[in-house]
Amino acid sequence: MLKIIRFGYLIALFSIAALLWFLVVNTWPFWAEFGLSSLWLDEWFPYESLYGLLPALVGSAWVMMIAMFFALPCGLAAAIVGSELLSKPWQSTLRLSVEILAGIPSVVYGLIGLWILLPWLQNTFDLITGHSLLAAGLLLAMMILPTIMVMSLDALRFVPQEQREAAASLGLDWNTRLITVLLPQAWPGIRSGVLLALGRALGETMAVMLVVGSLDKMPSPIYNILEPAQTLTSRIGREMGEAAFGSMHFSALMANGLILAIISMLLSFMVLRQRKAAQR
Amino acid sequence: MKILLWFLALPALLLPAFALLYIVYQALPALDWSLFVGTQDTKLHFGANQALWQQISGSLLMMLLACALASPIAMSIALFHQLLAGPRQKLFIHALLQVLQGIPPIVYGLCGLVLLVHLLHWGISLAAGAVILAIIILPLLSSNTIHALERIPDEQTESALALGLTPFQLLIRVWLPNAWSSMLTGLLLSMARALSETAPILFTATVFSGVVWPDSIFSPVTSLQTHIFYLAQEGYNQHAIDVAWASAVVLLGLVLSFSLCAFFLRRFEDH
Repeated sequence: MLKIIRFGYLIALFSIAALLWFLVVNTWPFWAEFGLSSLWLDEWFPYESLYGLLPALVGSAWVMMIAMFFALPCGLAAAIVGSELLSKPWQSTLRLSVEILAGIPSVVYGLIGLWILLPWLQNTFDLITGHSLLAAGLLLAMMILPTIMVMSLDALRFVPQEQREAAASLGLDWNTRLITVLLPQAWPGIRSGVLLALGRALGETMAVMLVVGSLDKMPSPIYNILEPAQTLTSRIGREMGEAAFGSMHFSALMANGLILAIISMLLSFMVLRQRKAAQR
Repeated sequence: MKILLWFLALPALLLPAFALLYIVYQALPALDWSLFVGTQDTKLHFGANQALWQQISGSLLMMLLACALASPIAMSIALFHQLLAGPRQKLFIHALLQVLQGIPPIVYGLCGLVLLVHLLHWGISLAAGAVILAIIILPLLSSNTIHALERIPDEQTESALALGLTPFQLLIRVWLPNAWSSMLTGLLLSMARALSETAPILFTATVFSGVVWPDSIFSPVTSLQTHIFYLAQEGYNQHAIDVAWASAVVLLGLVLSFSLCAFFLRRFEDH
């Protein structure tokens, strides 16, 4: 029995290692040919062997920031309302509805984006099509909202009841209690929620792919978020089908994947370090 | 301050209900029996006349295979963690699972495309999709199983060991009866996850049409998730869009039936 367990565990470790090894090995032709300098070249045009990764990096950074800009205030406020202001039955209703929101598959979000968000942006900002970084960011905000809300709700719930009572008996009003007692206590949990949500926003493919427009150029000027653009994930999703296996194009796509994996690993390590610090 | 908070929270509070109602409202025109069994109307080309049960069965088949592959491995990781691992190895397992869970599914899809589809010559196949989905749900499933086993009181394990039970007897007689419901919760959540992943199977396992039932595990399948994606891009074909929304409702229904089962099971445990 113990032998079987050990064997299964080793198989799991081995296959994970093999997977990551294949990821690195297959990007090797790309790094050998173009090197790290492709990270700050801004032209991606596979048919003329131009593989600048900067536009997609900038696009990914933008959609993460936009999503966080909308989702953090909204999700945090909803968590505070949910844990402090709602009565018990409403709290469980809120839990259920968050669960539903988290359960909607990303391709369905993409459909919602295509049918509500794009026409709306097109009319409001007078664009040719609504495909833009802003659309992707707004859609991602919807998708990471449950993560932020659930983590913040849990963090607020774990603040000991004595602390609330002590603060209340000092005569502090509700606002002061919230800002000086509850939020600082819950902050580590909220922060790891934010990190996890950032990871989710970075790695989301289908929804982003459908609304971002997949146009490989830098936003010009750089803060123009109303133009079609490209993110790391949407590029992989769009071009994975057409790149021939073994070609430089394919290797460049694998390099995109490697960068995605590295950034998300860094985010996970930040979450882990935080959890360790919180345990001390 | 309270008013400001309510105002900020409003979108988050209303969004789930709104999204659900909107999806169902959009799907109403196409939701009828002929959606599932297909029509003979050749004017409705581009997949809009396909029988949806093919896609549903493809998705479910891939999900079940992925769970069947991932469960034993997740179980052995969890048992290794509980029975054999020292403190350092426990930390390592936790860190590894956290990191693996953070890696975007599309990266696993890319790796699977190289390794399974091209190097092992499986081609675009059910097997490739199932293995990739299994790897994607493995971290979630393992950490849920570890969690379920950790909730068992130490006294029970210790007294079982003191009675001289072998590890196998310990698992069957003590751990499983105690933890089956939280393990089932974890499994249901992983099933929901496997059903909703789209990007990693798009180029490794699925085709748009032409498959009624896969002949072997090395033939391609059709799946509900990718069906929605293909139809969604047919912007000017009203019927295709209606079918896309209807498929979205079916997919959402399947995913939610798993995840809400898990939700209520967990609540039932907590009481």
